[in-house]
Amino acid sequence: MTGPAILLLLLGLGLISWIFGRAKANRFITAGSKNLNSLPNYHGWYTALWAIVPALIFITIWSSVSPALVTDSVLANPAAAELTDNGFKRGAILSEARSIANNPGQKAFNPEAEQLAPLYAKAQSYYDIVGTLAVILLCFAGAAYAFIRIRPDFRARKRVEQVVMIVLLVASLIAIVATIGIVASLIFESARFFGMISPIDFFFGTEWNPKNTSVAGDGEDFGAIPLFWGTIFIGAIIAMVIAIPFGLMSAVYLTQYARPSFRKWMKPILEVLAGVPTVVYGYFAALTVAPALRDFAAAIGISNATSESALAAGLVMGVMIIPFVSSMADDSIAAVPSSMRDGSLAMGATKSETIKKVLIPAALPGVVGGVLLAVSRAIGETMIVVMAAGLAANLTANPFASVTTVTTQIVQLLTGDSDFNSPKVLAAFALGLTLFIVTLLLNLVALHIVKRYREAYE
Amino acid sequence: MNNTASPATQQTAIVGSRSTDWQGEVMQKRIVRRYAAERRFKYLGLSAIVISSLFLAFLLFVMIGNGIKGFSTTQVAVPIDFASATGGASPEQISGEGAERALNSLDIAGVVNTAIEIEYGAEAGDIFTENSWTDVRDALLSNPDMIAGNTTVWLTAKSEIDRAAKDETDEKFEALYAKLKDAGKAQSGFNWGFLTGADGTDPARVGIWGALKGSIITMLVTLAMAFPVGVLAAVYLEEYAPSNRVTDFIEVSINNLAAVPSIIFGLLGLVVFLSWLELPRSSALVGGLVLALMTMPVIVIAGRNSIKSVPPSIREAAMGVGASPVQVVFHHVLPLALPGIMTGTIIGMARALGETAPLLMIGMRAFLTSPPQGLTDPSTVLPVQIYLWSDEVNRGFVEKTSAAIIVLLIFLLTMNAFAIYLRNRFETRW
Repeated sequence: MTGPAILLLLLGLGLISWIFGRAKANRFITAGSKNLNSLPNYHGWYTALWAIVPALIFITIWSSVSPALVTDSVLANPAAAELTDNGFKRGAILSEARSIANNPGQKAFNPEAEQLAPLYAKAQSYYDIVGTLAVILLCFAGAAYAFIRIRPDFRARKRVEQVVMIVLLVASLIAIVATIGIVASLIFESARFFGMISPIDFFFGTEWNPKNTSVAGDGEDFGAIPLFWGTIFIGAIIAMVIAIPFGLMSAVYLTQYARPSFRKWMKPILEVLAGVPTVVYGYFAALTVAPALRDFAAAIGISNATSESALAAGLVMGVMIIPFVSSMADDSIAAVPSSMRDGSLAMGATKSETIKKVLIPAALPGVVGGVLLAVSRAIGETMIVVMAAGLAANLTANPFASVTTVTTQIVQLLTGDSDFNSPKVLAAFALGLTLFIVTLLLNLVALHIVKRYREAYE
Repeated sequence: MNNTASPATQQTAIVGSRSTDWQGEVMQKRIVRRYAAERRFKYLGLSAIVISSLFLAFLLFVMIGNGIKGFSTTQVAVPIDFASATGGASPEQISGEGAERALNSLDIAGVVNTAIEIEYGAEAGDIFTENSWTDVRDALLSNPDMIAGNTTVWLTAKSEIDRAAKDETDEKFEALYAKLKDAGKAQSGFNWGFLTGADGTDPARVGIWGALKGSIITMLVTLAMAFPVGVLAAVYLEEYAPSNRVTDFIEVSINNLAAVPSIIFGLLGLVVFLSWLELPRSSALVGGLVLALMTMPVIVIAGRNSIKSVPPSIREAAMGVGASPVQVVFHHVLPLALPGIMTGTIIGMARALGETAPLLMIGMRAFLTSPPQGLTDPSTVLPVQIYLWSDEVNRGFVEKTSAAIIVLLIFLLTMNAFAIYLRNRFETRW
């Protein structure tokens, strides 16, 4: 039987056991038993869980064990005894035989595979039947065990709720699994990269020129300094020069000056800026902003302006970040105690003087924390820089020149071939690890600052 | 403003009368200056907001201005005498089972190309692409009776003609189009093919249905994985979790996952799902799993806030009538928190729908001319399709890219509007 069919069968059997368990518990009530510990539904669930869970566990184990059992039984057959001892070729023949057994009509490459295919098919169907029978048996045994245990004083609810708690815990643990998965995959591949290229060359080299070879040290350069500089230049300098004044000023205006009706309309409009997909910003930057900036640069007499400039990417990224900075500043200003503001106003300061001399200095730690979070988001942003910033790894402070970033190069390195043994592909993971660590540190520092600041005013 | 004089006069005023002369000229000037600074600051704030919203308006204006043209198409007339060209094939022959094979044996491509050749001679190659005959095949499949007669079919013109019709470029094609238009052989219409087709090489014949379908399948996988896990994790952390190291670690992991750059999730998918677990490359399944890992923290955080806002009196009342801790949560707290959780879920899904970078990493950038048929088929999604078209050299793709962006934005706006509606309609302020 196929996988989905078995699962459906199991579900059906589970439903039947639910009905039976519930019916048995109901009979106690009709028989006049007043002190049933749990509601009949819980007895039903208890029976159904016993029917399904052991069988599911068995299926999981069986599906990982049975291919080996099938291969063993094929190899035990005299027809397989003449197979070559060369492990690699042997494996190829066996896997081919398996695929022929699964898709009849396929052409065989090795003649031996053709002979082994029927053996495979036979062994597979044998173990399929064994597995299916075992599942059904386990299902019935579990249901019967649970069914026998149902009594008026049986604590079915407690048992069912224990299972629910386990499910809840497992769901929470998936976040840990994902984090470990990220860290493990990045470290594992990066370690292989640093086995080929020295970390000193990577972190302090100024030439970035990866080539498409699987041999290390073949005239390639993996100096990532130009990439780090490009990332900082676009994400932490140009984008922030746009986002901080605009975000801060719009937060100040919306919280201190705007009428409630104006605020009610403008806040969602600003938030739309954050909701536009980055690929749309990237396209806009490449299609409209970059050519306009190039013409502007040519008009003011900068000769080597390209259509892929750091300024175009940084500008659009800054606009994307405005609502983020704005909402962080909004929160920080709102957290300043109103007594400070009222005191300043009572002394005769105008609103703008209160904002400049009292509110913003008091809210500064929160604003700085928000800006750090914004920087961490900007340097991890991919599509805008991929589409607008270019690929040339220049170490330049000219905003009209083309620079490249960490994320652009990750995309570039992993596009096309994915031979996991070439330093070119593995370099992407080293870049990814660096990006991960930097954004993680920025976030930790920012959250720490924001938390300390909140505590200061509580 | 006389800055050097003012401190001195101020001092004498204080010394002289022992109190500030508020009505004096110096003080009045000072107040005027301060009020002017106040107004300047206010207008600075207003202009920050206005410029930000103007940028948004400009972006939408450019996208709509470019994209609206992508929804129209130019067709050119070709008279075809099917009856004589196919040697008298009957409608029955090409209907029902095996219709497609029957059409192939009739060499429809040859028939159409000959008809085009007869009608337009040397210019045929400038007006039509080699694939134009597929329009005829599709028309015949839906209306077999056509094969018995002598009809004029309207075929989608080449991208250059299409662009000439929209007043864009190239004198040669403009002239050709003008000639066709004068002869009544060209017409414009709504580009249904754009909504029903998939990727292709000729911008006049591409469609977004392939990418849209890939997006829908991917989003379903994401929802199926992220929603249950996210809600259950939120319930556990907010209601049951003991305060110990494991719980702290879970919380740190979730907050950290919410802040990790999206491209890192792509690297995770590449290594864990494709390389270690050997799931099919480019498939909607892997894309959905990667996006689910990104969306789950958003749902957990929204879910926790929503559960936290349910007042303790509800829990206490439920416990008071004998509900167990699990019953309290699943019968009372969760239903009340659900609108908030749904709002958070929709916002998370909208973000996942616009996500591009992690999907590029796991190879969902293949050139696919037909929509995916299932979870494990190679597929692409709408934002990736936008990225792929934006890279095309052919200028005809500009309007198609913008048109695809319009479709994507419409989907996102609908989802966000629905989230806002849910929040306003169902969320209770306790």
